[in-house]
This record gives sequence, C-alpha cells and structure tokens, in this order.
Amino acid sequence: MMLLLVLLAAMVIVSLMLGAGEVTPGRALAVLAGHGDDEATFVVGSLRAPRTLIGIFVGISLGLAGALLQAVSRNPLAEPGLLGVSAGAAFAVGVALWLGASAATLRIAVGQVGALLGCLAVLSVVRLRGMGGDPVRLVLAGAAFSALLASLTSLLLLFDQRTADEIRFWVVGSLAGRRLEDLLAILPSLGLALGIIVVIARPLAALALGERVASGLGHHPGRVRLLVVLAVALMVGAATAVAGPIAFVGLVVPFAARALVGPDIRRALWICLLLGPLMVLAADIISRLVVAPSELPIGVLTALIGAPVLVAVVRARRLPTL
Amino acid sequence: MESLERFAPRETTPAESRAALAEDIPPPLGHWRLAAGDISLLIERRALWVGALLLLALLVASLAYLALGTERLAPPVVWRALVGQGDPVATFLVQELRLPRLVAAWLTGAAFALAGCLMQTLARNRLATPGIIGIDNGATAFAVASVVGLGTSLAPPAMALVGGATAAAITFGLASGGDTRGYRFIVAGIGIGAMFGAVTQLLLAQIDIDSANAAYPWTVGTLNARTGGAVLALAGGCAMGLPLALALARSLGNMRFSNAIAQGFGVPLRRRRLQVLSLAVVLSALAVAVAGPVGMVGLIGPEIARSLSSSRSVPLIASALAGALVMVLADLVGRLLLAPIELPVGIVTAIVGGPWLLWILLRPSRNPA
Repeated sequence: MMLLLVLLAAMVIVSLMLGAGEVTPGRALAVLAGHGDDEATFVVGSLRAPRTLIGIFVGISLGLAGALLQAVSRNPLAEPGLLGVSAGAAFAVGVALWLGASAATLRIAVGQVGALLGCLAVLSVVRLRGMGGDPVRLVLAGAAFSALLASLTSLLLLFDQRTADEIRFWVVGSLAGRRLEDLLAILPSLGLALGIIVVIARPLAALALGERVASGLGHHPGRVRLLVVLAVALMVGAATAVAGPIAFVGLVVPFAARALVGPDIRRALWICLLLGPLMVLAADIISRLVVAPSELPIGVLTALIGAPVLVAVVRARRLPTL
Repeated sequence: MESLERFAPRETTPAESRAALAEDIPPPLGHWRLAAGDISLLIERRALWVGALLLLALLVASLAYLALGTERLAPPVVWRALVGQGDPVATFLVQELRLPRLVAAWLTGAAFALAGCLMQTLARNRLATPGIIGIDNGATAFAVASVVGLGTSLAPPAMALVGGATAAAITFGLASGGDTRGYRFIVAGIGIGAMFGAVTQLLLAQIDIDSANAAYPWTVGTLNARTGGAVLALAGGCAMGLPLALALARSLGNMRFSNAIAQGFGVPLRRRRLQVLSLAVVLSALAVAVAGPVGMVGLIGPEIARSLSSSRSVPLIASALAGALVMVLADLVGRLLLAPIELPVGIVTAIVGGPWLLWILLRPSRNPA
C-alpha cells in the first residue's frame, strides 16, 4: 500500500516532467520547486497538471468500476470496456456531439446515461439467459455489443466532418488537451459514486459469500446490485465523456489487485484506488513519449498492456469464480 | 435372406459387383448418382438447388449493383454497356467504375466466407471465424505497416499474408493443448485481435493526418480503396483456393466429428488441420489486402449457407456464393443509403452482423458450437 502510494506520487511527478515541447524535465522540476520561468510554469501548470489530475480520476473511475462489475457479476472478465458499458457511453456522447452539444457537463450527463443503458443491457443479458456461470461467453456477447456500438459511432463520424474532427481522437481514448473545466465537471458524479461505494462495500463483500448468506446477514442483494450499476454508470460515463472509451483498465487493475491482496473486495477496492491512476498515468506518459512529438491515443497502450492479461486470464486452467 | 444372398456370390469381379450394386441400390435419399463405368459420383440434390438459387440471387444483385448509383442506368443500358455497344458515358461508368468494384466485391465476399466456413469447421465452433479470432486484424496491422513504410520491400498483400499467419500462429499456438472448441479460445482470439488493432492505431498515429484520414476507411473495411495488384493477388488466391477447399471437402465433413471419429474415418488430422488453417489464412489475408477487415462476412456467409443447406456436408460452395452475395448487397447499400456520402462496407456489415452475432450467442438452450 505504501509502496503503491510512493509509486503513484513518483508517477505524478514524472507525468508533470515529461511531454512534448521545449520544456525539459529540468525546467519542469524548477517549476515544482517554485522558481520556474513563465513558459515552463504555463506548460506544467496549465497543460500537464490538469491532464495528470484527469488521468488520476479516470484511472480511479475505471479501476473501481472494473472491480465492482467483476464482484457483482462474479465474472473475472467483466470489464466496462469489454462489456459494452464504455461503448454505450461513447455512442451516447458521439450522438450528443453530433447534435451539437459542446458543454462539458451535458456531455458527461449524456455519457452517464449511455453507460447506464450499456450496463443494464449487459447485466440483464446475464440474468435473463443465466449466463452468469459462463464468464467467457458473456465477454463474447459484450464484444459483439461493443463492436456494434463502435460501428454506429463511426457512422456518426462519417456524417459530418466537424463531429469527425472533434471525436476522431476522442473515440480511441486520449487525455490530450483536456482542461480543468472537464475535471470540475466530473468531480460531483465521482464523489457521488465514491459515496455509494463506501455504503455498499460491506454488503458487496457479503454478496461474495452467496445471495442466501448475504440476505441472512441482513443485506438486500437486489438493492446492492442496483447501487453497483449506478456507481459504475456514474464513473464510466464520466471517465468516457472526458477521455474517450479506454478499454482494459478495468480488467487489468482488479486482476492485479486480486493478485496482490486476495479476493476480498474491500481490500481490493483500496488497491484499485491506487493502481487505476498508476496504470492510466503510465499509459499516458508512454503515449506522449513513444511517437513524440505527436501523441498516441492512450486506449492503444491500455489495449497493448491489457490484451495479454485477458489472454492469460482466459487461459488459466480454472477460471477463478468470484 | 434374399437380400443377403445377393451379396454372397463371389464369382464376379469386384468391378462388376460394384456396378451391380450401383444399379440395384438406389442412391441415398435426396441424391443423384452420376455413374461412368467404375466411377460414380453422388450429388446432393439440395446442394445443387441451393447453389443455383444463390447464383441467381448473386446475378440479380450484381445487375442491380451495376445499374444503381449516383447515375441510374436501366438494365438494358447496363447490358449494352457491358458488351461495349452502349454510349460512351454508360460504358465508362459500367466498365471502368462499377464492374471492377463489383468483381472485387465478389472475390472478397467469397474469400472471407470460404475462409470463415473452413475455420468454423476446423475449430468446430461457428464463432471461430478469422474476423473474430484476430486474423483479419493481424493482416490489417501488417498491411498498414507496409503502407506506412515499415517493410516497404513487401507489397501490402504479402504483408497481409505475413500478418494473418502471425495472428493465426499466436491464437492457435495459445490454444494448443487446450481445445479450440470452447469459448476461451475465441476470447483469447479477441484479445489478440485487440492487440493487433492497437498496433494498427499506433501505426496510423505516426503518419500525417491526411494519409491517416485516407487510410481510415480501409481499416474499417471498404471497397473504395482497392488496388489492382491486390485484386489480382486475391483472384489468384480464389482460383487456387476454391478447388483446394473442394479437395479437402471430404475430410472437412469428417472433421466435424470428434478427433477420434475423424481419425477413424482415416483423416490425417494434423496435416489436414494445417492445410485447412493455411488455406483460410491465405484467403482472408488476401481479401483483407483488398477490402480491409470486413470479417463479419466470414460469419454471415457460412451462416446463410448452412441454414439453406442440409447438414450432411460442409457447404463450401454455398458459403462462397452467399459471402459474395452479402458483400455485393452490403456495398450496394453502403453506396446508396446516404449518397453522396459513401458508407464503408465494413460498417454496413458490422451493423447487420453485430445483432446477428448476439443472436447466435444468446439464443436460448441450443448449443451454438
């Protein structure tokens, strides 16, 4: 835990230090120490700092959402990006952009509604068809669902050039050019989601023992599930509206958290809180460096990191049931 | 007893007795027997009908493809233009613009669907088409690499072949030991596909924005950006691939059963698997080099063919015909629906194929394997 915290702090400093442009790590460090020149102060304070903060919040959202989805669906492969929750949010935001909405708050609300619908679609499929026992098949259905929504989103891209320019980079996920207002717009919903998580952490841990046990302990499984869906939609919708659909963070982070502290959801959530930002910031930093001076969409890097983890989880002889 | 005695006499030569059998015993239900001396051939009546039906539909769709567009032509005008006796404008439109694209649609559709059918039979899972298990994405990534300038010594079709083979090797390599029947194999394939998709994005991010915008439609699948060389390579691949697939048809029919049964039928499994896999990779990679990853055709084509055909055999020809039909129709819809904006055919097939895929997965009770 302490180690992760130190790592995260180091990552934040690195994120402030590195990037395209004339401002070298040394000058950026000078700004952090309190005596930088104007240009460096501007680059670090107005460009890199908001981006880093947004990266932190996006990481927290996606990591926690993945952990919650996995716990509630008892499926180690449940992931907002793979199951179509992010795709739902992305499609909704694409429609909003196409219709001409540009206000950040509106975009986020629309993204959350899309995420909610995507989340409900996925979970109702699990419950209706009794596919909870077949994690892999659920992922396949989610992949088909995502692919469908993704092509509908690219359809919007073709409709008009203005939308295309606005969402071309956004649609693969990127933290580039995000402003402080975007961050302020997602803070309330993130706070609300964190509040929900505090309330449901204990019941959720009880739910891991089975529905009967949870009911016996005085919890309401149905209500818990509903709250989880709400929290996931709030977080994924906000994260997607700001940064675009970033896949695999919600898969890798809880996977690593479980490997570190075991299956207890309460402890895993704490670790996810740190690991999520760590992964997103790391991916973002690499995305800035690898093809400098241009940038890679961060979604490309999370896919490159996440796909092998997905394969590893699937190839495990016995899928760990949660 | 009487029927037993008929088999008993051994004075006749084997050839004579086979001929006698052929005359006495009627062909299996729903088949015709073509016999020429010692050799006889069973033809499934239904397969013939299905093939004729699909061919007719394909011809009608092709005529519509040539006739419709921003400039509409009446069918007789199309015909005169085809044989070179129409007015110059119509002749140019049909012969120079629409016909080459139609041919590309035929070839890519047939190749994708045939590859899909082969792969489905190989993995014994109808979702295990090259598009879904990442082979198309591998081919795309390598072809884009060739366009971007890495490995320029190889043309896009060759690079697509390398990429498809790489992806197939990784996916099937990961599945070795495990069976290719289950869904785990497919999800692993989706992971590999996502990785190669990311590589494609990575490559596109390195070129200037105009070239990236030009390459974008191809990465979702379009017939608009085809090049003559790639089409020629694909035509060669199809001309060799279809007979090869038909030569493998008998083994394929037996490979639908469990390994033990297939081996009992005398199928050299290891060799056949490799042959079928290579053929499927070659066909889909060459098709990707022409049209980009339109993988859904590999799922939809065989699906249509299978629902029309009887379950006795693997519907190879019907799959190829159905795939060509789907491709022609999808591209026609993409050209017409929002004209003058042209929808890439990959998006049309994804919008049709996505719900189809979900339906296959979520259908109650029946085992979709």
